[in-house]
Amino acid sequence: MTDYIIETQALTKRFGAKTALNQCELNIPRGGIHAFIGANGAGKSTLFRILLGLEQQTSGSCKILGHDCQALTPELRGRIGYVNEEHTLPLWMNASEVTQMQRNLYPNWRQDIYDSVIGHFDVQPNQKVAQLSRGERAGLNLSIALAQAPDVLILDEPTLGLDVVAKQAFLEALMYTETDINSTIIYCSHQMEEIERVAENLIIMESGEVKYMATPEDFCQRINYWICDLEADLSSIANISKVLSAKYIEGQCHIITVDQDIEEFKSFLEKHGAGDPIIAPINLEKAISSVLSKNHRSPTKVD
Amino acid sequence: MTKTSAIAIQIVTGDARPIYRQIVDGIRIEIATGNIQHGSKLPSVRALAIQLTINANTVAKAYAELTAQGLLESRKGLGIFVAEPKQMLSRDEQEKRLQEASQRFINDVMYLDFSPEELTAYLLNELQQLQTT
Repeated sequence: MTDYIIETQALTKRFGAKTALNQCELNIPRGGIHAFIGANGAGKSTLFRILLGLEQQTSGSCKILGHDCQALTPELRGRIGYVNEEHTLPLWMNASEVTQMQRNLYPNWRQDIYDSVIGHFDVQPNQKVAQLSRGERAGLNLSIALAQAPDVLILDEPTLGLDVVAKQAFLEALMYTETDINSTIIYCSHQMEEIERVAENLIIMESGEVKYMATPEDFCQRINYWICDLEADLSSIANISKVLSAKYIEGQCHIITVDQDIEEFKSFLEKHGAGDPIIAPINLEKAISSVLSKNHRSPTKVD
Repeated sequence: MTKTSAIAIQIVTGDARPIYRQIVDGIRIEIATGNIQHGSKLPSVRALAIQLTINANTVAKAYAELTAQGLLESRKGLGIFVAEPKQMLSRDEQEKRLQEASQRFINDVMYLDFSPEELTAYLLNELQQLQTT
């Protein structure tokens, strides 16, 4: 048995001229809640679709639960749960028919988990899926996914559209699933607050590659926020590879660096005539957005 | 079965301190102020995780750190308890921490209009109150 629940090697996926995944290398250990973060179009959803065997990669290899994603048996699929961001469910079925179908497909079905999560939503058993509001459909879909008690549960922006109470109920159920059923949770979200609360491991994707994989604390420690008085051309500083951003705010220079030795950078700044360089504390959201904004698409300048 | 003492702490996301650090600080203050008594039983890792809606491993990490600092102790099969006060730090380390703490304190109060005498009297009073609780 392998120690990794998900393994990819040089995984590449192209859609025509566009590269969605570029030589993606990823090893996710078993257990825990892993949060995928990336700008729109970073390749998260494409990776999920390949993991589930719904899409075929252009090249490279991709394994889930130690098996090739292109050759998943029904038994293996029964151990993998997936919730997509649209919460797609058969519109013509009613809620009890959908759950009945799920019970038959998933041998580990946990009715108690289903009941405890669905109870937070006003979903009647005889209601057609098509009649449910977006939030109610999300609730039904998430209750089902958690009740499957899968070995690995992949959630693509699960809390989008949920109200605060439903979101709280879902997060509690999610953590219960992780600790008590020992599921590995793969979680994609843009909600930094949620990520900070639940994620043990951050996987930051950019342009189809995994850029960083670390615990939130370790990740924050790699990012430094410098403030100093500096009279220099910022473009020369901004081009240093370890500098994520550099800007002036009322005459003071604010620089964010990644994996940059503190003493080294301090003497670098002082050599360029910077006065009193100090390091300011930085929170997770700011650290993540600094990393993502480095290469984020922005409108091309027209002179 | 021993009654569990509630932990009245709050965590905030978006803080520069990671969540486990906020829990460590929060519980230390609760113990120092006497809101949680020595020898009392704390909520389980899972219960505190649900209370704060955070990952259980984050709570486990905070409890582990507090245990390493000697503030909490884990009794097999019974749960996590607030330890009887005992000193885990060497004299040198204690002096170093005292120095750091007083530097921070001096930094905070030096722009206020109190004389050194007033400050020390105030501090002495606060410390004596802590000891009586």
